[in-house]
Amino acid sequence: MLQLLVAALVIIFFIAKLGWQKHKGTVSTGEFIFWLVFWLVTLVLILFLKQLDRLVASLGFSVSAIQVAVYLAIAVLFYFIFRVRLKLEKIEENLTKINEVVTKKLKN
Amino acid sequence: MKVIVVIPAYNEAEWISGVICDLKKAGYETVVVDDCSKDSTVKLAEKAGATVLSHVINRGQGAALRTGTHWAIENGADIVVHFDADGQFRVEDIARLLKPLETGEADVVFGSRFLDNTTKLPWLKKSLIMPLARLVNRILFKVKLTDPQSGFRAFTSEVGNKLNWRQDRMAHASEILALIIRGGWRVKEVPITVIYHEFGQSFSGGFKILKEIFLKKLS
Repeated sequence: MLQLLVAALVIIFFIAKLGWQKHKGTVSTGEFIFWLVFWLVTLVLILFLKQLDRLVASLGFSVSAIQVAVYLAIAVLFYFIFRVRLKLEKIEENLTKINEVVTKKLKN
Repeated sequence: MKVIVVIPAYNEAEWISGVICDLKKAGYETVVVDDCSKDSTVKLAEKAGATVLSHVINRGQGAALRTGTHWAIENGADIVVHFDADGQFRVEDIARLLKPLETGEADVVFGSRFLDNTTKLPWLKKSLIMPLARLVNRILFKVKLTDPQSGFRAFTSEVGNKLNWRQDRMAHASEILALIIRGGWRVKEVPITVIYHEFGQSFSGGFKILKEIFLKKLS
């Protein structure tokens, strides 16, 4: 019970901080909505942890809902790293194109 | 036919003057693309009489070759030759590469170290790395040349205009080859002699090339 309370408080802190950042204008509306939904969903999941455990068990997992969430989070993180790597490739390619134009301009 | 020799260079102060002088003696117009060298490559290349293009930031050999190739075509080259700055290629072999292009027998000519026995390759390279490279190129790109990693190549400006390789670093050799095969151009290999000053591409370098090809395919 105490763990749930601490987790809920941490999430409420982050939501409050997000609201403050939005008020100051340091996050865009899109980012604000994304993180608000993220933290609200997390809060709901934590509040219904017992039911989630039952759901996860009924799906055939031998671990708790929290553990499934951690595994999923790791998989998602790896996916994001991969996406960032591809994005970097694209940026590198564009950098080379700019470099060629600048090189030739400097020569002329 | 106007021939321009493109030389990508990175920290090649030791060899660049000699290479340019030999090319000049043979009557070839030369453009050196310096990839942000930290030594005196640029000064020496200019002093030796080459046109020098200086990359503002280091982008790799593939990128330097692309800059040089585009520059050569924009400056009226009918034939572009890719040549190394480290003195490992012989200037007299350029004529061998040019002949099939000038007679209209081929659109692209590659120098091959394996068509005769004049090149003394390090054992590991000859017996393990190169056969593996040939196999990988055969599987991935359906390329059946004897020397798929050769950096000594010549092609017409028509080919150069359409060749759009994206690999900036060492994987450009495989990509150029694959694009040429896919483009349906007439390809010929001629024997060349390579004088090794150092080992060159290592085994781990081969894996790096594969990683670069994989990432570029997905991006």
